[in-house]
This record gives sequence, C-alpha cells and structure tokens, in this order.
Amino acid sequence: MTSTTVTTQAPRSSPPALGPERPVAWPKRIVVTLVNGMQVVLAEARTFPKISAQLFFRSGNASVAYRAPGLAEITATVARTGTTNRPLRQIEEDLRRMGADLAAHAGADTSAIGISGIADFSEGLLEMLADLARNASFPEEEFERERRQRIEGLRIQRTTPDFLATERLRRVLFGGHPYAIVAPVEAQVAAYRREQLEEFYHQNYSPANALLILVGDFSNEAMLDQVEKIFGAWEAPAPAPQKWPAPPKHTGRQVHLVHLPASVQTQVLVGNLAITRRDPDWYRMVLANSIYGGAFHSRLVMNIREQKGYTYSPRSGINALREYGYFTVHAAVRNEVAAATLTEMFYEMDRMRSLPVTEQELESARSYLSGVFSLGVATQDGVLAQLSTVYLDRLPEDYLEAYRARIHALTADDILAAARRHFDSANEQITLVGDRAQIADQAALFGEVTEYDAQGNRV
Amino acid sequence: MKKLHIPVEHTKLTNGLRVVAAPDHSAPVVTVGVYYQIGFRLEPRGRSGFAHLFEHMMFQGSENAGKMEHIRLINASGGLLNGTTHYDVTNYFEAVPSNALERVLWLEADRMRALKVDDENLRNQRDVVKEEVRVNVMNQPYGGFPWLDLPPVAFRNWPNAHNFYGDFQDLDAATLADVQSFYRTYYSPNNAVLLMLGDLEPTEAFTFAKRYFEDIPSHALPPKADVSELPQTEERRGEVEEKFGTLPALAIGYTVPPRNTKDWYAMTILDRVLHGGRAGRIYRQLVFEKQIAVETDGNLDAFDANGPTQMVTRIFHRPEFTSDATVAAYDEVIGEVQEREIIEEELAPVKVKFRADYYSMLEGGMGAYMPRFGLMHYLACFTLFDGDPDRINNVLDGFMDVTPAEAQAAAKKYLVPANRAVLARRPVSHGESR
Repeated sequence: MTSTTVTTQAPRSSPPALGPERPVAWPKRIVVTLVNGMQVVLAEARTFPKISAQLFFRSGNASVAYRAPGLAEITATVARTGTTNRPLRQIEEDLRRMGADLAAHAGADTSAIGISGIADFSEGLLEMLADLARNASFPEEEFERERRQRIEGLRIQRTTPDFLATERLRRVLFGGHPYAIVAPVEAQVAAYRREQLEEFYHQNYSPANALLILVGDFSNEAMLDQVEKIFGAWEAPAPAPQKWPAPPKHTGRQVHLVHLPASVQTQVLVGNLAITRRDPDWYRMVLANSIYGGAFHSRLVMNIREQKGYTYSPRSGINALREYGYFTVHAAVRNEVAAATLTEMFYEMDRMRSLPVTEQELESARSYLSGVFSLGVATQDGVLAQLSTVYLDRLPEDYLEAYRARIHALTADDILAAARRHFDSANEQITLVGDRAQIADQAALFGEVTEYDAQGNRV
Repeated sequence: MKKLHIPVEHTKLTNGLRVVAAPDHSAPVVTVGVYYQIGFRLEPRGRSGFAHLFEHMMFQGSENAGKMEHIRLINASGGLLNGTTHYDVTNYFEAVPSNALERVLWLEADRMRALKVDDENLRNQRDVVKEEVRVNVMNQPYGGFPWLDLPPVAFRNWPNAHNFYGDFQDLDAATLADVQSFYRTYYSPNNAVLLMLGDLEPTEAFTFAKRYFEDIPSHALPPKADVSELPQTEERRGEVEEKFGTLPALAIGYTVPPRNTKDWYAMTILDRVLHGGRAGRIYRQLVFEKQIAVETDGNLDAFDANGPTQMVTRIFHRPEFTSDATVAAYDEVIGEVQEREIIEEELAPVKVKFRADYYSMLEGGMGAYMPRFGLMHYLACFTLFDGDPDRINNVLDGFMDVTPAEAQAAAKKYLVPANRAVLARRPVSHGESR
C-alpha cells in the first residue's frame, strides 16, 4: 500500500526457509516414590530464581458426586484457610514474606495445592505445603464464609453461557457416571457439613494417594533431601478405589437447549464421548482435532470465522479425564446463525471423515503440534503442566521425549481413521444456550429438542 | 536474595525502528514482538473501537502473505501468535521454535511495509469483532467491568473516556479509507519497536532485523496529542446496569501520578499494600473480617500506560449491604493507611512479593505457552515510553526504595475523593429469573 521502491538484499516475495530444527532438552528430572507411597517428580529449570510446586491427590469431585457434589472443591478451598499451626492471616502473611502465590482446587479426578515463590524460600514453601496437606483445621467461620461465597459464585456461574453449556453437555454425555456433575446446586452447598470436609481431607489427602511435582531453581539432589525431610515421616493409607457405571451410548443427534433470557448470542457446544490419553488412537486424534478446529489455522476457524464472520473464537478440543475423554466443538455466535453454525460444524466434521487431509495440511499440523508442545519447555509452569499430564495419567516415562517423533510419524490415513472413529457426527449431542424465542426453531432442525432453565430444570 | 539480570542489547535502524534483543538459550524457543505506539486512546473520534478493529486487519493479509497465510506460516513453523490493543500500544507477537526466527521477521516486516486488505476483509472482521464484543461484554455477567465502565466516569478528555471496544454504529461506519489512513499515520517503523527474545545471538538477530526492516520507508508522525485531564475537583460517580450477574459490584479508581515520578513508585507500592491478593488490606478487611464483600481484587498497571490511568479496586458485595455502606467500609481501610504510618514489617514482605511478581511476569505473563510475554511487554514499554530498555534491570530499585513515610504521604495526597471515581454496577431483575 505505501511501498514504492523495492531494493533489498533479501528475497522479499517468499518466506525464508526454516533453519534446522533444534533439539529440545526437557529439564533434568528425578522420579522417586518415597517409602510412604508419595510419588515425587523434581525438575531443574534455573533461568528464573523461582520454584513452582503442585501437590496432587488422586481424588476429586467425581469421588463424592453421588453424595455431595463439589465437596472436594470446597475441601480444597477451606483447607488453605487455617492449620493447627497457622491461622488464616498468618498463612497469607507467610506467603507474602516468601513472595509466594497459593492455590487450592479440585477437579473431577484430583485435588491439588499449588504454591510458587522465590527460590530462596524453598524450604519454607515446602513446609507450608506440608502443613496445609497434613494439618488443616477447617475453622468453622472460614467454612461458613467459603460456603456463602460458593453459593454466590454458583449464582453467577448459572448466568454464564459457557458454564451452562458445559454443565448440560456433561450431564448428557455421562448420565449415571459421576463425570456428569460439574457443579453442585445451591441446596447441596447449603447441606455441606464441616465434618464432611474433614472426612474427605483425612481419607484422600494422604501420601499414598499423592503426587508432588516441583520445578524450579534448585538442584534435584538437594531438593530430594529436603522433600524427604519434610514429607518422609508422613504416614497414611490410600483411599479405597471406586467403581462407577459406564456412561450411556447415544443414538442419533439430540438437542439440549438451555434457556437464558435476553441473550444476545447463542453458545453452541457439540460433543461426543471419545478417548483418554492412554488410548492407542490418542496421537491420531490430537492431529485430527488440530486440523479440524484445534488451531487458529484450522478448517473450522477458517470457515465460520474468517470466511463467514459468525463468531470470534470457535474451537474444538479433546477433553481427557482419567476414565473417559470427550470431544467438543464450540462457538459463541449471533442468534441468527445458530443453525448455520451447526451446519458448518457438521460439514467440516463429515469432510474429515470422508476425505484424507491434504499433504500441506498434514505437514503444517504436524509441525504445529510438535513445535507448540516444545514451547512449554521454556517456562516453569509449562514444564509443570507437561509433567502433571505424564504422571497423573501414568503415561510412559518417555512421553515428553518421544512426543515429537510420534506426531511426525502420522499419516493422512491415520487422521481419516481417527476422525471416523471419534468424530461421531451422526450421534452428536448438541447443547445450545440462549434465548429460546430466538433459537428454538433453529434448534429443532437438528433433532429432538429438550429444554432446560439455567437451574437445570426441564421446562 | 538472588537477583535476576536480563542481558539486553539494543540498536536503532536508519528508518527509526528501534530493535531490542534479549538472548536466553535455556530453551530452543524465541519470542518476537512488534509494538506500535498507538492504542485505543488515540483512535479517531467517531471511530470508537477502531484501534482494535485495525489490529484485526493486520492479520488479513500483506503484500506477500495473503489472508490466513501469516497465521498458517506461524502455526506451520510450530508457533503461536496473537495481537492485543492497549491504551498506548498495539502489539503483534509470536512464540516459535528458534529455527523460525527469520521467517517471523519476514512476516512482520511484510505487514509493516505493505498491508493489503479489501472491503470484504473489513466486513468480515467487523462481524468477528462484534461477536468478540458480544461474547466478552454484552453476553457475560460483569462484561467490561470495569475496564469499559469506569473510564467514562473517571475522565473527561475523549481519548481517555470513550468506549474502547467500540460502539457498533462506529464499527459499522469504519471504511477501508479509514484503515488505510490509520495505517499510514501510525504504522511507521519510527513509531515502533521490534523485540527478539530467547534462543538467538543478538548480532545475528540485528543482521536479520536490518535485512527485513531497514528499507521500510518511515514518515513524519503526527504531533503528540494532548491526552491530559483538567484538574479534578470533586468525586465522580456513575452507575451501570448489570444484566446477568446477581451481586452488586463497585469499581473505585484513583488517578495515578505521572510515570517514573517519586510519587508513582510510592503509589505503586501502596497499591500492593492495599490489594496484593488475600494478604492485602482490602481483601482482609472486606472479605475475611467484615465479610461485606464476596470477592475483591484490584491493581495499578504501573508499566503499560503512558497517559492518565487509575489504580482500580473491584468489589463484589453482598446484596444486603448498600453500595454506600460498602464504600464506607472501603474508606475505613483507606483512612487507616492515611492516618497511621505503614510499618516496615508490612512494607518489606510487600516488596518481596513485588519482586516475585515481576519475575513471574517476565518469565511468562500470558500463559505457559507464550514464554517471556511479560519480558517482551515491559521491554517494549520501557523503550517506547521511557527510551530506555535497560530499565528492565533497574526499575525495581525505585520500588524497593519507597519508605513507609513516602507510602503514607502518597495515600494522603492521592487517595482522596477529589481524585477518584466510583462506579456501581447494579443487577436488574427481569421478567424471567435466570
């Protein structure tokens, strides 16, 4: 537009070739199981004078979903509000003194306490972590305050389109399996008793149920000594394993409409049960997802964003929980194009199932996944996230090191096979969150429609 | 305590483009950013939201990389990319395996030299931006609170006080001629800085920068716009309807003294005394002790504003407390820091946490997969606003030197009603309950 003269030593009309790929060295790590059963993973990442720790327990909200949904989450949030050694205010002040942040949460499969701070204080940070994991006192007043905050938080969540869509889809996909429940209702939170939190804590926060991952500016050997000193004497058994019913099989597409009055958009979320990271198809599925809608340059983004302008952030993804995984496609779109969006989502899905991807798409997607995977190596949080995946899901010890080669070995046929098996186009469950008056007619084009209100009641 | 030193080298090309390199060979990854010194503060009147809409247009094609080609080439190199619009800068950045450095520079140079977009691209991105506004603001509980709600109450000068995401009629009114004129006015090499961080050799990186950027012609920049505010004489108040959320909320903003002054350092440290997470005085008093608030947070974005800006507190309070009662409880916290000197035992840990947060920001700052985003961002701000990228290694000194007396003096001088704005976001109930 503004350029007139073209004189330069570099060829300007085509991009320079990539230099040779440089090797990725994952941080030096130690993996040991202490005598008390606690698995410990240590990784040196010394660029910044910080450390980052996650202490996981392999029990989360799924393990209490039938009797007290969300109990693992509130246990984690109250556990950080006081121990037999430190009242709430001291915990917060100790953290600040060590330049630290603390977070305690629970997902479906795990409860976790995470702490990060200045490396000079690593001993104090680990002592704090052990104190929270072993000596939480569950102060009555903090429990009541957290419970009230949780109820207020739930009320707001139930006005949030993507929360409502996920909540409904999980109900539909998982049926009687505890993964069906992503959040409690208010009455369930009101019914929590403090003793239930203590009971969950004592049964599940145990070394035999724990995985500790530490990444940061330390030497592995010295850090292992410190970890043994602080956690080694802790003795407690692992909780008994649980068995849960299998999720239902779905035949045909069904539409689940959550009515959210006055919505100026429709949240579209389509999903089907798929696979976990331990499935032999995992890498094929990752690549298929990336070409379909998992990356900025994917087909779905190109179609409904860059060509049609229906939406700002369409994406697809594979959500891998411990026992099951599920595939999802989502977009927030203006109300008039809810049906048109679904049509394009299915069109692109069916195209992935019918025709092999092009050589250029294949090569781009392989390089994309291989490169982005390695970006995680450059930050402590990235390393911690990758290590968590490996050791929580009990993946092979060479998972990180072998990932790039595995992705580069995939072919167009692999992708076609994965799409046919795991993009279940004919039986997708369709969740729409929006104003019924604006979208009910469009919803009916795709199957039988069941309507709900934001509280989850059928209407 | 162990201190961090970031190696930084910088140069300036003959066309005025500033270039900064920060080598770090700990991982085979580079982060590249191009920052233009234009943000939503200076977008044209009658074109609210234009700086951000324009940012989208920079991904729609340039002379040698057509629509989607820029994105495809970065993704296919194994990298991620994005752009964001701020008050005073707009950035475009990539994190890629380090063998892709030259390719990224080629792409950034191509769109600095010759943007190539048409009406169809503009129509498309106008639609996309409207969906972005709907998903982030109009269809979300507390959408735009308070970054869009507070400035119109706090400020009087249009650049500081308008709707930065854009009124839809202004977005609709934007033309391709506007796009071209904005590009010609502000997207010139002498109004930008190029940053290259990570697994690279500065000498080689500077050679690449010259190869791809040095012959991009520069042009005269418009005279510096006046974004100053007239002195404020009394508290300003406003109200906005909350369409979805169930809790009443407040945003309280105090205008911050000018960048790099003694008072600015003191006010920034004071911000951490008051906010600074759950150990901060406001959270402790309003959430833990008085239990008026369900949640509160706040911050002063010290480095990335180059004009009027505020320290802002957000308070989501229980409906049984009125907003006046909530403000009164907040004012008690403010009164305490004004009346009693903050003791060193409180200030010292605040400074440790400040240092820790600074390191965390430099390392990541935008998720685990965009390494050194914060380092890039701060280097850009220090270069463009202060003319000194080396501030990355000494800026902390000014904060560490703040004394209790200075923090208290800042509280008395700046945390006063005549320097603040209070915005209430009030839930409305409508026909059907949500």
